[in-house]
Amino acid sequence: MEQIIVNGVVLSATYALVALGITLIFSIMNLLNFAHGQILMIGGFMVYYVYGVFGLPYAVALPVAAVVTGLIGFGFEVLLFRRVVRVATREENSMLLAVGTALLLENLALFGFGEKQRGVPSIVGGVYRVGAAFLPAGRLLVVLIALALIVALLLFVQYTRPGRAMRALAQDREVTYLMGVDVERISALGFALGAGLAGIAGGLLVTLSGVNAGIGTALSTKAFIMIMIGGAGVVAGAILGAVVLGFAEAVGYALIPGSTTYLLIFVGLILFLVLRPQGIMGKPQR
Amino acid sequence: MYFECRDLCVHYDKVQALDRVSLAAQQGEVVALLGANGAGKSTTLRAITGLTRASRGEIWFEDTRIDRLPPAAIVARGIAMVPEGRHIYPFMSVRDNLLMGAYLRRDTAGIRRDLDRVFARFPRVRERLNQQAGTLSGGEQEMVVVGRALMARPRLLLLDEPSLGLAPMVVRDIARLIGDVNREDNVTIILVEQNARMALKVSGRAYVLETGRIGLAGGSAELAGDDHIRRLYLGG
Repeated sequence: MEQIIVNGVVLSATYALVALGITLIFSIMNLLNFAHGQILMIGGFMVYYVYGVFGLPYAVALPVAAVVTGLIGFGFEVLLFRRVVRVATREENSMLLAVGTALLLENLALFGFGEKQRGVPSIVGGVYRVGAAFLPAGRLLVVLIALALIVALLLFVQYTRPGRAMRALAQDREVTYLMGVDVERISALGFALGAGLAGIAGGLLVTLSGVNAGIGTALSTKAFIMIMIGGAGVVAGAILGAVVLGFAEAVGYALIPGSTTYLLIFVGLILFLVLRPQGIMGKPQR
Repeated sequence: MYFECRDLCVHYDKVQALDRVSLAAQQGEVVALLGANGAGKSTTLRAITGLTRASRGEIWFEDTRIDRLPPAAIVARGIAMVPEGRHIYPFMSVRDNLLMGAYLRRDTAGIRRDLDRVFARFPRVRERLNQQAGTLSGGEQEMVVVGRALMARPRLLLLDEPSLGLAPMVVRDIARLIGDVNREDNVTIILVEQNARMALKVSGRAYVLETGRIGLAGGSAELAGDDHIRRLYLGG
């Protein structure tokens, strides 16, 4: 029982980073980033190479993962999405583009990193006992890093000038132009930030479960599940969705044979969405 | 001329929304822009702020041509707009709404002073400072969006239908507010209104847009007495 709670907390904290990243991009650009899982995967590989292969400290590898994936997000926004979001009259256009970028990243990763499953040695040694449960020190560190970043992000969005501009942009794009906000710059910054968070989450997850070039789609799907549960575009909803999914997985893996867990999660999700299509904290469609 | 649009044309795809619209404002004036739904009033304001590009014509403000500038640069030059339908940020606190208006300013002390001026003008806004703006009444929301625009310290203020959907008593408050802002803050105002009676009362001059063209222009007092205007916009 305690072990389930410990595992649930570890998963929830990392997933919250994933959900917050995709929520940031969704609310600012009105775009469901289908490449989110692939960006996570890239972040995982960055940590694998910098920390696992080249032997540099994890404290170097994780920022590298954040910067590389942040730059990928920035480049995607400036070179691809900016133009498509402006000229497209239908949301499907930018969604298809996002699917395209997902395939692009996945194939580049297959080409560059190969198809092998990769793991990294644990970041720190030692195991803590929490009641009857075991908590390896590496996992505790993952939780602490994730929580610190979540708090930092929330403070940034709530109290800084660019953070306020991002919230403004999410609520009313046109009026935000009238406030004198450089909307293009803030959009690119938001996309970079969302992608960077995904990269960090990937860099944390690789220490838990490893990485391979094909995990992107599964991770994107998890991200979608989280924001569907919590309510798309709502920060508190994203965190809540992450906690629900994290604990559902932890419970499932402890009590139910392997692959049945996600089958049950999907069935539960479908039933839930029939009852509450906007998610727990989502606003009903206007 | 302090502010001027010369021969402004705007096209939405193939449809021409504005056809050689020319209008001007002297420093310190309140100018009304009247007209029926779809006459091009909002389009004119959108062209001034750069939200919509003019396909022909020029816009000049304080001896600078501004019609090729992006919206942020136009705001930075001292033009603020209160868009139609209020458009507060509903999920932001009232305080953050007001601070968004001061987005381009870096003078923290000046921003605080101007916040106090907004509170002095709208005591009700101060009471609801930490409330989500979406929970305010229509009249209170109008105060917040006007306060937000004033936080930019504009020299030219564009108001798009501020009386829309408000009770007659609140419309009177808004009319008084327009006069106050104009005199006390020395802000030049272009007021777009369907409520021609109110607009002609608070403005010195007025233009009437008819399907994308300036149909009539003149002193507001004369226009209020004009038979054509009375019949079309003042209800007899």
